[in-house]
Amino acid sequence: MAMLNREIMNAVSDIIMNRPLPIREVDQIYMKAGDLALQSFFIGQRFRDLDVVFIGDGDAVALSTMYLFHCDLLDVAPKSIHLLDFDERIVNSVIRFADKYRFTNRISASLYNVIDPLPSTHQRRYDAFYTNPPWGASNEGESVKAFVERGIQATRDHNAQGAIVIGDDPALVWTQEVLHVIQEASLGEDFIVSEMVPAVHNYHLDDAPHLRSCNCLVRRARQRTGTYSSEALSPDRYARFYGRNNPLRIRYIREELSLNVGRAVDQTYKLEFLEGKS
Amino acid sequence: MIRILTNGAGLIFMKIGIHAQEGVEDIIARKKREYEQAGMIFWGYGGNTCHPTTFIQPFAKTQAEHQAQVFLMMHKMTSNHNADPVSAKQYSEDGIEWKPIPEGIQVVGSRYAMVIGNLTEEQFDLNLRNLVVAMGPKRGALGTDYIQGHVDKGCFEYHERAETPEETELKHIDLYSPLKPPYAVFLK
Repeated sequence: MAMLNREIMNAVSDIIMNRPLPIREVDQIYMKAGDLALQSFFIGQRFRDLDVVFIGDGDAVALSTMYLFHCDLLDVAPKSIHLLDFDERIVNSVIRFADKYRFTNRISASLYNVIDPLPSTHQRRYDAFYTNPPWGASNEGESVKAFVERGIQATRDHNAQGAIVIGDDPALVWTQEVLHVIQEASLGEDFIVSEMVPAVHNYHLDDAPHLRSCNCLVRRARQRTGTYSSEALSPDRYARFYGRNNPLRIRYIREELSLNVGRAVDQTYKLEFLEGKS
Repeated sequence: MIRILTNGAGLIFMKIGIHAQEGVEDIIARKKREYEQAGMIFWGYGGNTCHPTTFIQPFAKTQAEHQAQVFLMMHKMTSNHNADPVSAKQYSEDGIEWKPIPEGIQVVGSRYAMVIGNLTEEQFDLNLRNLVVAMGPKRGALGTDYIQGHVDKGCFEYHERAETPEETELKHIDLYSPLKPPYAVFLK
């Protein structure tokens, strides 16, 4: 039996307790704890000392990587991570956690939806991007392409890298078609596949508990020349964002402010007191 | 039934049983009265494999674009479901805009409901190996590889294949009904 590392598991437990509950309507399906820990090690090593942007991160890989490094449980980590996400609950959960454990110098987060042009402050700024987008089961990879394009727009003109985490099961034809589409689209942007770790992560996915995702790492093979503009996603592209007849309809998920962050919502239980103790 | 189960037809397979402490025969009788009063039925259910906006609505709309009707096909089973019989007071097509539950409709102990027409009680066998998952991350998988464990319902396309009997996995269908717009709703 493999040895458990109590400190690593407890640190990942801190991260999982901090993750807002997933909303299935917008395809938030979270990575399982063991794979979250391993993915943090992987990203720490592959993006060592780099400035990294995460295009969406419900799994909390960014926070986990930086927290494990902060706790001296990882030897190496990115120099910095900035998270862009359209869910204010996720953005705030990262900001609050990093502030609580005092590593805001290494990680930050802001609200952004890939439907919009990438803000100029994030264009060409980072060494690497990371994305685990909606996997495009019923849209021929259109949602993945949108996230990857934003990642590429956020990275520098030369020596840029990326990590694309998407479904990978040879028995499911759509996963292989989407992988093909994404590798083709990456090549079109002068990125080549530099490493492929197939079928490695598991998720809390009730209808496909054994479906895994891969780490598809890409790097820029030709320097970007000239200018480019980051455009809003065209309506025909977000009409099938979550699949056929399932468009992207939400710009932001807003957090309902609460004094009870990280604790059970009080509408979900009631207390029955011992007699004379209420 | 042959008329409904043509190649490429869309259907939702669902196992049904005791729900919110109410026996399935009582539910069927109550739902038939519901149809007489309201002209439609809200068939309550839960779980994410038939989520209203990410599975049922896009699936039924895509079929409707091809002038095809999606049918809910139900297989009775022995089960326990002891959720409290709390009646929904409101429904929503998108989870944002909420309306009162229509007059004559009563749906209990469920987060979601499929909107269906009248129930037809007709018995026939459905081969899960003729079903291909039509929606979600297991799209393209066979029904036999999907309906297992805690997964008891899903969106499928029917594709009949020639097989020897031992390769079949038959599920007895006890009743069915056509889905009606908006196909599935949220409840609270």
